[in-house]
Amino acid sequence: MTALPPLGTPTAGLDPLSEQYEAGRELLGIEPDLDAIDLVEIGDSTMELNMGPMHPSTHGVLRLVLNLDGEVVRECRPDIGYLHTGFEKDFERHTYTQCIPYTDRMDYLSPLFNNLGFSLAVEKLLGIEVPLRGQYLRVIMCELCRLASHLLWYGTSALDLGATTAFVYAWRDREKLLDINELVSGVRMHTSFIRVGGLLADVPEPFYEMVGAVIKTFPKLIDDHELLITKNPIWRQRTVGLGRLSPEDAMAYGATGPVLRGSGVPYDLRKAQPYSSYDHFDFDVPVGRTGDVYDRYLVRMQEMRESLKIITQAFENLPDGPVNTTDRRVALPPRNELNTSMESLIHHFKLVTEGMRVPAGQVYQAVESPRGELGFYLVSDGTNRPYRCKVRAPSFSNLSALPHMVRGELIADVVAVIGSIDIVLGDVDR
Amino acid sequence: MSGARAADLLERELPTAVRRRETGFGEVTIWIDRSDLVAVCTLLRDHPDAAYTTPVFVTAVDWPDREPAEPRFDVVYMLRSLQHNDVCRLVVQVGEDDPNVPTLEGVFAGMDWHERECFDLIGITFTGHHDLKRILLPTDWDGHPLRKDYASFGEPIAFTHNLEWALPAQERPRDMPGGSR
Amino acid sequence: MGLSNELIVPGAGGRSILLAEADAGTIALPRTGAAERTALQSGFVTTTLGKVIQWGRYSSLWPALFGLACCAIEMMATGAARYDMSRFGCEVFRASPRQSDLMIVAGRVSQKMAPVLRHIYDQMPEPKWVISMGACASSGGMFNNYAIVQGVDKVVPVDVYIPGCPPRPEGLLDAVMKLQKKIAGELPGSLLG
Repeated sequence: MTALPPLGTPTAGLDPLSEQYEAGRELLGIEPDLDAIDLVEIGDSTMELNMGPMHPSTHGVLRLVLNLDGEVVRECRPDIGYLHTGFEKDFERHTYTQCIPYTDRMDYLSPLFNNLGFSLAVEKLLGIEVPLRGQYLRVIMCELCRLASHLLWYGTSALDLGATTAFVYAWRDREKLLDINELVSGVRMHTSFIRVGGLLADVPEPFYEMVGAVIKTFPKLIDDHELLITKNPIWRQRTVGLGRLSPEDAMAYGATGPVLRGSGVPYDLRKAQPYSSYDHFDFDVPVGRTGDVYDRYLVRMQEMRESLKIITQAFENLPDGPVNTTDRRVALPPRNELNTSMESLIHHFKLVTEGMRVPAGQVYQAVESPRGELGFYLVSDGTNRPYRCKVRAPSFSNLSALPHMVRGELIADVVAVIGSIDIVLGDVDR
Repeated sequence: MSGARAADLLERELPTAVRRRETGFGEVTIWIDRSDLVAVCTLLRDHPDAAYTTPVFVTAVDWPDREPAEPRFDVVYMLRSLQHNDVCRLVVQVGEDDPNVPTLEGVFAGMDWHERECFDLIGITFTGHHDLKRILLPTDWDGHPLRKDYASFGEPIAFTHNLEWALPAQERPRDMPGGSR
Repeated sequence: MGLSNELIVPGAGGRSILLAEADAGTIALPRTGAAERTALQSGFVTTTLGKVIQWGRYSSLWPALFGLACCAIEMMATGAARYDMSRFGCEVFRASPRQSDLMIVAGRVSQKMAPVLRHIYDQMPEPKWVISMGACASSGGMFNNYAIVQGVDKVVPVDVYIPGCPPRPEGLLDAVMKLQKKIAGELPGSLLG
């Protein structure tokens, strides 16, 4: 056998018609009369491919370093932090009311849940209870937010796999929900509607008509969305059996929300540890069976219908009364008192400029956001600013399970799996 | 009472590990020593009465000037039990000259990233972690932002009473908090 | 500018080339100030080379996908059904910066992302424009802290700034229209460089 080049594969740099090439192929264990097109693997070196942070399908600035063997993913290392904003540091130097707009921008696809979690944590420390009308309105707005978030997830993850019609349908319907947001708060997305002690304000008159229209029209619209892709053979081929996560692994990684429920674990914080009067409503929790991408998709589609059920019940039983607590530590004095009482005027001034004072202590309050368990660990030292507010982001833990889910899958399927986890980088990086 | 199940189990099975137990706002907090951390978490995960299988988070709270003097950092762990529908909180205190805690990567797979984040933002090192490097900030960053001695602001806003804040970075006084960035 | 049915070749010493008969119908091109006669008998349009190129550039601005945070959602809404951005020429959101000419920086730019932003900007071919969408991209927004670059103009040159947190889709459309006016007003000499 003639001498072979020392570096690279045994056939590197050789003229394919020469003898040495044939000898090199023999060394590699390839039959001599095998056509070049039939060659499969030359050596076992893998390729490192960088996906992101600017990539259309990573749903934000996520960078994945993929170790590929041909098209099969051997290892996936997510590199996050491209949207790190330092929220937790900002919480420490703002008053509790000033923190609310910051919370909006963390999980920016479902901002009301961040508001709710933070407000509930502060209310736990203060020991105040929001009136029932305020709680029901919180539930209605949050479930509308869950609908909007799931619609956006549906549109973008379908778009990733090629279903562009689904994207346009989803955004058309999302606009109707953003119109309701704009009505109650003036802002389409970051409403800061849920505050400590209740809400920004009571809802105006057109609210009832708009929510009534949503309740009437959305069941058919969601059925239309499902009609587009649920039984579509291309969709099923691209999602069934892909990205499986077993229930034990889901729990070990700390995955929550539809990722956990898609794997068959029926845990939903709205049922398990109800907050804000969720226990007054009758709804089901959809659970998957195999933990693949298709199951998570079905779980979220069904969750949209359950959200509509909750909105209907809350809307029909909406009680009258105040929406905000009257506890003077938090609530501003009524306007007519400001004309007569000096103490009220001073109190109003101090509440607005300095903010509310919260007793010292530590609490953990979790809410069920569309992505999973969104928790606020709030440590207060008795002043008007949080001492430490740690946000437990669901997307952070869900994403840590990604390397496990894509090991052994094809690179094109990585896109489908990321879409099914439904991450928001604002949540992951905070 | 959230976390009472874990506290009761620990007082039964590992009573020496529980240094302090406090109840407040409907939640129980258990203080343990860092040498008992892995044993406590393994027990809480595996014992059928507890089954705290889901890691919620690990973080640290920086208390630089506590009276009476206590170690500077409170490393806080929260674990959730889906089976028994409970969440418990464990606190390990470490001082600033030795901020090390054994890693829980082997007990819960999800603790990997949470510990990296805690190291990145507060500077707690987790001994035994397979790859403790920064996760949210660039790898060449200096300092740990969530410590209380790390400046909050990015760009000083100058008013007429603090015009020196409007100076470019090279001309600002050296001892202004914020490090090299 | 002015009424002319001759093609002026820039830098050619002012020589003019007759393009069409004097009484051929002309169509007024928007924003170019060219001939206003609108009869269409001959089907010829006369204008200057510079104006045609500018019109082509501003009428088909293809944005590079650079959605970072919440503003990206409003950017997607602007491209969706209700506020259709492809009416204004932004038909395709190109994933590859080498095939796009507009970078809409939509969202907060963290310190880790800033070098990536510059890298993507450098990969875009000339001519290129940058719209800084939202308060965070324009000035750091509400995040005056260690982690966010206080304004993307510290990293790339910006043509249009949009205020808002997040700006409404109409705001983004207004910015695209302002950019189109800016491109139309560019001097003819700049098309060579």
